[in-house]
Amino acid sequence: MKRYILLLSVMTALALFAVACGAPAAAPTAAPAQPTSAPAQATSAPAATLAPTEAAPPTATEAAASGEPTAVPTPTFPPPVSTGGEGCAPNSQQVSWFVGLGAGSNPPEVVKEKAFVDKFNKSQTEYCLLLSVVYNNGQNSYDALRARIAAGNPPDIVGPVGKAGRASFQGAWADIQPLAEKAGFDLSKYDPKLLDFTKDEGVLVGIPFALFPSFIYYNKALFDEAKLPYPPHKLGEQYMGKPWDLQALQDLAMKLTVDKNGNDATSADFDPKNIAQFGFVEQYTDGRGVGAFFGGGLPYDPKDPKKAVIPDNWKAAWKWYYDGMWKYHFMPTADYYNSDQFGKGNPFSSGNIAMAWTHTWYTCCFDVQKFNWDIAVVPTINGQVTAKLHGDTFAILKASKNQDAAFAVLSKMITDKDLYNIYGGMPAIVADRPDFFKAFDERVAPNKVDWSVVEEMVNHPDLPNHEAWTPNLTKNNDEFNKWKTFLDQTAGLDLDKEIDALQQRLTAIYASAPAQ
Amino acid sequence: MSTAKVSTVRPLTFTQPKGKTSAFARQQRNWGLFFLLPWIIGFFLFQIGPILFTIFLSFTDYHGTSEFKLGNFNFVGLENYQKLFTDPQALPSMGVTLKFALIGIPLGLIVPLLFALLVNSKRLIGSSIFRTLFFLPTVIPVVAGTIIYSGVLNAQSGWINLGLKALGVADPPRWFTDPFWAGFALNLLAVWSVGNAMIILLAGLQGIPTELYEAATVDGANSIQRFFYITIPMLSPVIFYNITLGVILAFQYFVPALLIGTEVGNPQGSLLFFPLHFYRQAFVFSDFGYGSVLALVIFVITMIATGLLFFFGQRLVYYASAER
Repeated sequence: MKRYILLLSVMTALALFAVACGAPAAAPTAAPAQPTSAPAQATSAPAATLAPTEAAPPTATEAAASGEPTAVPTPTFPPPVSTGGEGCAPNSQQVSWFVGLGAGSNPPEVVKEKAFVDKFNKSQTEYCLLLSVVYNNGQNSYDALRARIAAGNPPDIVGPVGKAGRASFQGAWADIQPLAEKAGFDLSKYDPKLLDFTKDEGVLVGIPFALFPSFIYYNKALFDEAKLPYPPHKLGEQYMGKPWDLQALQDLAMKLTVDKNGNDATSADFDPKNIAQFGFVEQYTDGRGVGAFFGGGLPYDPKDPKKAVIPDNWKAAWKWYYDGMWKYHFMPTADYYNSDQFGKGNPFSSGNIAMAWTHTWYTCCFDVQKFNWDIAVVPTINGQVTAKLHGDTFAILKASKNQDAAFAVLSKMITDKDLYNIYGGMPAIVADRPDFFKAFDERVAPNKVDWSVVEEMVNHPDLPNHEAWTPNLTKNNDEFNKWKTFLDQTAGLDLDKEIDALQQRLTAIYASAPAQ
Repeated sequence: MSTAKVSTVRPLTFTQPKGKTSAFARQQRNWGLFFLLPWIIGFFLFQIGPILFTIFLSFTDYHGTSEFKLGNFNFVGLENYQKLFTDPQALPSMGVTLKFALIGIPLGLIVPLLFALLVNSKRLIGSSIFRTLFFLPTVIPVVAGTIIYSGVLNAQSGWINLGLKALGVADPPRWFTDPFWAGFALNLLAVWSVGNAMIILLAGLQGIPTELYEAATVDGANSIQRFFYITIPMLSPVIFYNITLGVILAFQYFVPALLIGTEVGNPQGSLLFFPLHFYRQAFVFSDFGYGSVLALVIFVITMIATGLLFFFGQRLVYYASAER
């Protein structure tokens, strides 16, 4: 009897131990300040991915890292995935590939990536590609890569990764130029502007792979209802007899901004407190992105990186943006932007926005088949056309011990059509684009979208890019996210004064940047 | 002649030699410790251990992006503590937390007490339905509840503002975009979920002996006098418990602030609660050294506040069963 009691006691003790190890601190039962249920896991909101997972292309990229936080925080993430070299030839050289700084970490994409790796390994005997995927929630995959680098076990290839992802590891990327020359890879077939775009601080860190130019999405139904012609699809085209410039865009947006009584924003009876439809929105971007509408720039002096110097074109862009919301009312303020009526943070998808300026990846985020939509070129602003660009590439880490082998594999990856289809970016190589757009056509049918706009806009990237590296990058991005929200939420600002204050804060941030 | 009765029976008492415990008592104690052991191990491993490690981290410059190894913990003395005095957001974020607590704790006591009194009233028809309805928000996960509330309080489409507009309020508050109203909006969210406190107060109310009320009525006390001279004193232990928990939770308030204001505490830092400020430093900027200092500040302030509450509060709490 004693033995059974002892056995029962031991089992009970073990069970209690297991509970003690898993149990959080006792939750209080009275909660005057907040509900008593278990707290949700926090997320790094500004970097939260916006795109829902999709099986078919296109999907969102790390471009979402610079967008507004609209997604509901998810408490669980897919576990890391690794392949172990199945299908590799014996004695083949191992090349490791890390996915997680941009697109590619959603489960449907991982399935396709594994299929690609399998196909690649079986198609040749020289290299053995090993895949490692860490889900990108804007933080943990970055930490995972840092840990691997710090542990002396860096991957060889990282990608797909864009400017923002690479900027978080500034200085960690190998110069592709000498590797390409050594391997006899012809870089001249790429548009020099795109090669420039793929440079970080003058170093070519990748080969242009997938591009996500920006342009204007427009809701044809709202134009038809207002009996207005659609905006231009070609640069240089006029709109209603006038050049398609900033004023033309503003006038058009005001005509398409309508209150609940049907008055548009040009009418004396327009009620800005009861707007039912907006003419324009700069969707899913941050403070630097808003500035880039008026041209590329850097917020610091490259000769003296500790000093913030906000470009004049950015100041002008912010003023136009602010007036667009609070004075002329053709763009939604934060209250409208986050309301039920305007898609709770995804306004173009609500059907109540006539035009939205954003990138090709945005096709992830609205019903591309049910919507009656098309795309238009951005207007000329101060004689210049700027279509801010997101672009992904595959980069090689400086710490890689197999840079030559990594480049050999990389050069095959960037021309593989299977990889284009996984990530949904427009191919950098012009000859590959017809197939890409054909797949897009099937996806958006019955809509007939004029993809020539995309091909035109890719020729006008913002240089320097709005996601380029800055000193103390995390705090810099934090400040610019706060800045845009401040503009979106606060009426009656003296913008000159606020911009000066922002510049001072940025100077303090850059001055306190850790040494590189 | 009377004779004193002398008992010749020895009392059945067992006197233990001083300083020695019996084998049986030792056995009982050991079994008790054995069954407590899992919790004690868990407590030291997962509660005390991390607190001690946090104290250690507060004296280092460990950055979250560095590998977790001894070589990356560089001792920097009191540098992180000095940063506390030059951090421009430390005091404002503590101000946000205190403002929330000063409004939220009284509200979190008065509102559930009123609900409990209502539900306990004999005149209320269907009190169990009301009890369920008041308790329901408590079972909704905090994330879902916050997201729902952000829609309810949206300045344009939220039904609270639509209702206010219908009542003739021309410019209802911009709850989550105006720094003045954002904190109050979170207080409203907290009030929405007072069901738990209501249930505990209700249990306390139902535990008050009815004879006291009868006696008071006989003595001529009106309902208000009965409330203040019987109900409140008899409920004082429960009220004290709720206040203590309210203080602790107020200093840990984090999830709704993060969801509504993101980690920057929008609008304009009005929702940058102190725990959120700590989170930013540690997990956004990866400054674990300074983040640990902020975590310890929360810990110390909460301990001091709780200690003060116990010191002063116990004098005001009436325990019917205790000798005072």
